[in-house]
Amino acid sequence: MTETSIIAPYYRQNEPQPGEPENWWRFFTFSTDHKVIGIQYIVTAFVFFLVGGFLAMVMRGELITPEADLVDRTVYNALFTMHGTIMLFMWTFPVLNGLANYLVPLQIGARDMAFPRLNAVAFWMVPVFGLILMASFLVPGGPSQSGWWAYPPVSLQNPTGNLINGQFLWILAVALSGISSIIGAVNIVTTIIRMRAPGMTFFKMPVFCWTVAAAQTIQLFGLPALTAGAVMLLFDLTVGTSFFDPATGGDPVLYQHFFWFYSHPAVYVIILPVFGVFSELFPVYARKPLFGYKFVAVSSFVITGLSAIVWVHHMFASGTPSWMRMLFMATTMTISVPTGVKIFAWVATVWGGKIRLTTPMLFALGGLVNFLFAGITGIMLAAVPFDIHVNNTYFVVGHFHYVIYGAAVMGIYAAIYHWFPKMTGRMYYEGLGKLHFVLTFVGVNLNFFPMHPLGLQGMPRRVASYDPEFAYWNVIASIGAFLLGVSVLPFLLNMISSWILGDKAPANPWRAIGLEWLVASPPPHENFAEIPTVVSEPYGYGKNEPLIAQQMVSTELASELS
Amino acid sequence: MKVRVILRLLLLAAIMTPISIWVGQQAYHWMPEPASEEALLVDNLFSFLTTLGTFIFLGVAGTLLYSVLFQRAAKYDEGDGPPIEGNLTLEIVWTAIPFVLVVWIAGYSYKIYDQMGILGPMEHVHMMGEAIAAPLTAAAPAQPESIEVHARQWVWEFYYPQAGVTSTELHLPNYTRAKLAMTSEDVIHGFYVPAFRVKQDVIPGRQVNFEFTPIREGTYRLRDSEYSGTYFAAMQANVVVESADAYHQWLNQAAAQVPQPGLNPSYVEYQVRVENRDSRPGWKTVTPAPAPLVNFPGSPDLPIPGP
Amino acid sequence: MSSVNLDQNLNTAATVHAADHHEEGEHRLVGFIIFLLSESVIFLSFFVGYIVYKTTTADWLPAGVEGLEVREPLINTIVLVSSSFVIYFAERYLKKENLWGFRALWLLTMAMGSFFLYGQAVEWASLSFSFTDGLYGGTFYLLTGFHGLHVLTGVLMMAVMLGRSFIPGNYEDGEVGVIATSLFWHFVDVIWIILFILIYVWQ
Repeated sequence: MTETSIIAPYYRQNEPQPGEPENWWRFFTFSTDHKVIGIQYIVTAFVFFLVGGFLAMVMRGELITPEADLVDRTVYNALFTMHGTIMLFMWTFPVLNGLANYLVPLQIGARDMAFPRLNAVAFWMVPVFGLILMASFLVPGGPSQSGWWAYPPVSLQNPTGNLINGQFLWILAVALSGISSIIGAVNIVTTIIRMRAPGMTFFKMPVFCWTVAAAQTIQLFGLPALTAGAVMLLFDLTVGTSFFDPATGGDPVLYQHFFWFYSHPAVYVIILPVFGVFSELFPVYARKPLFGYKFVAVSSFVITGLSAIVWVHHMFASGTPSWMRMLFMATTMTISVPTGVKIFAWVATVWGGKIRLTTPMLFALGGLVNFLFAGITGIMLAAVPFDIHVNNTYFVVGHFHYVIYGAAVMGIYAAIYHWFPKMTGRMYYEGLGKLHFVLTFVGVNLNFFPMHPLGLQGMPRRVASYDPEFAYWNVIASIGAFLLGVSVLPFLLNMISSWILGDKAPANPWRAIGLEWLVASPPPHENFAEIPTVVSEPYGYGKNEPLIAQQMVSTELASELS
Repeated sequence: MKVRVILRLLLLAAIMTPISIWVGQQAYHWMPEPASEEALLVDNLFSFLTTLGTFIFLGVAGTLLYSVLFQRAAKYDEGDGPPIEGNLTLEIVWTAIPFVLVVWIAGYSYKIYDQMGILGPMEHVHMMGEAIAAPLTAAAPAQPESIEVHARQWVWEFYYPQAGVTSTELHLPNYTRAKLAMTSEDVIHGFYVPAFRVKQDVIPGRQVNFEFTPIREGTYRLRDSEYSGTYFAAMQANVVVESADAYHQWLNQAAAQVPQPGLNPSYVEYQVRVENRDSRPGWKTVTPAPAPLVNFPGSPDLPIPGP
Repeated sequence: MSSVNLDQNLNTAATVHAADHHEEGEHRLVGFIIFLLSESVIFLSFFVGYIVYKTTTADWLPAGVEGLEVREPLINTIVLVSSSFVIYFAERYLKKENLWGFRALWLLTMAMGSFFLYGQAVEWASLSFSFTDGLYGGTFYLLTGFHGLHVLTGVLMMAVMLGRSFIPGNYEDGEVGVIATSLFWHFVDVIWIILFILIYVWQ
């Protein structure tokens, strides 16, 4: 006993620096603790979520009437550009990176990420490029108004003629976001490959880690393509090269290929970890093992592989030849198979279980239903003849928001509630959580369902004004958007008050199985006093088996003692 | 036991199938009244997809709902559910079924696509498309010329080369394969008439040929479908489909008219802004192209949308 | 009794510590390889872009440009490619713990890399077209420039590793930085070979 206490500090000399203050101030420091960084990511991203949501509500305010009467058209165009950019690059990516940062080392039994300092660098780039993007509201000419796709030639039109314009800052921010994401991806993938606890083979790893690895792999092969396109766009914009400018012989469609080669898989970067969250939560709250664990785990990488060969479905109405349309229709259809496998597995997991409708479970179930709907409209969109009708209409906007808000954001909420006791050591208020769920679920469907009929009737996306025939559904959508705005209030109230005043959380409030639930809430610095040795597959609900060797010893001891 | 499960599933399917088919039939009414050959085909496909989609949605969401309603843990039940970890047969079946389904959907979509005979940009005339259009065009007069479509920020202009007519309203003869030669002067625009269910990006620097066959007289909306900058939403025009006689009459009348400024709402709106009659703050924009001089400006009134 | 115990424990702790250090080095190497794989996609994207442009553009060469001189770039290529072998032997010297052999060959690699950069600069200065001369000029400078940036990075990385070799005892245990730099250098070489074929051979 004495020996260990002497040796412990020696052993830890070359570990990532411990000794950061254990108070709220540590969240404002260059901490290298993955748990601090995880929370930093989540909170920062949520602030940007509020900003992006505010922009969306102004847009829905404009769209509540057919005329372009609330804001100037240039302002509206800047709003939807910034809304998309913020929500993707500064909310969903960072918040999911935050969850991965917090959970992956705990779930695989590591003391920290493989590169703690790089981890902190990657995080601190988020506020930096966030501020750069926000600053574009202040430059003459305003922020980028070319949509978050930044298709040339629109993105190359620079009415002010200034070098420092909104589009320039946009490219800069997106490039920095790309660098930050690549650093994060290298770190997370290395951590998962190298730092698993003894006994934790890949097929003993929780599905969340599988999906995070699959998602980060997409970042690794996809982001460089976007970076290449962005560099060329930047040169076109600033130096006057002619890569994408048709006026000087360039090819604007090539940019679309670069862009979608990354930006379609980017949707899987977002949704895969959310699949992971679903796979973690359903077993806990249905008290059953995950149905077909290996199928669910492996299908994540099947999705990663297929995601690299579907991007042209965004360009069915662009300058795309027929053979390409048919080829990418086929690939896009096939990607629904591994996704469908997951959905069936979750339904089978829930089936016949002992279901407990806590807030995280409600969000997960709601997210699953929304995702099911989005998946069905997704297959419709893959069918070329139908896509040609609804491409670039509100149908696509509706589909996309069902995926991103209906499934991803609701999944993220589910994860935040589920791991909130672990992260803060406090319990949240169940009543407020349920209220938050109801408002979100109703708001999502009220906001995004009407977009489908609108698209079917032919309302293009990104319009500041529209023909009066579309007024009816737009009013409903706007009401839904305001409801979603209201829905964050109980969430904020819940999170802040629970963190300060909530009941103290035990180590494992949900009786969940997983390494993260074996340590205290919140986990101590460097997580594990002794690295556990994993002996079982995850999700052993109802099987009454030990997860780690140390538990075996203690049960043996207990039986011996008795 | 097994028989009972199968019987129950069959019963469920027997209930879900008519509901799905009914929803699939409703799907025809969710889009504007079809006004082209292509629209009929697309609507069939959409109805098919909706039927299948409804079935899947009801099946999956229904199962989930049943679980949530009837398989809740009792209040003080801290126990676990049955430790079922999977079922290989089931997993293989539910991998195979979606696969077969998507192959079916893809095959059907391909068939529809082939029948539509949509031209990709710079592609040669699709034989199949011609064949489909043939019975309808047989009654119509000789193959019409290509109509030139010029897109610029933010106005559509149409030019009929044989008659020498320019217009800001697109007129098309009914039951005749419309052939468009589309060009853009600045950025990418998208030619989209929802009633025709056709859409094609117009890419600057090349001529994009496009074809479809209108089959219903009336006035429809042409919308820009590829975001093109500040006044993107205002870049719309009316499309008038009329009988061959009326169409030729219109062409002759228009040819006789003196050129006058065409319709161009974006430029009008821009003028309001420039003259500071708009109090809302805005950022500097690309200047809209002024209204082109055309023989026929067309009607500024919106068409009355169909049922 | 207790002191012996303590000693033993300290010893195991020391080995654990060394093993840990070794582990960390391997993490870095794995991370670096992942990063290189990712980085190669940027080049791949540029290559694909180049091939698309070259095969679809009607007037590929700008007016008055006849194409590229191959002779000097070929010499440059030979120098760069052979430097890959030199750096390989430098690494072997380090493994045999011959520090001075390592330093000499390492320096030679740096010199060869710098020669390449110099040759590139001379070539750029002599060209009659610029970055903004159509797709030809754009892609040429983009590709060679982006690659040149990597060569420069490689040389700078080597300089750092050379400096660190003078810290006593630093390289006794093998050095991940050296392995990584050498990997990076091979990567830069392979990219150049593809680039050379695309730009100079395929005219």
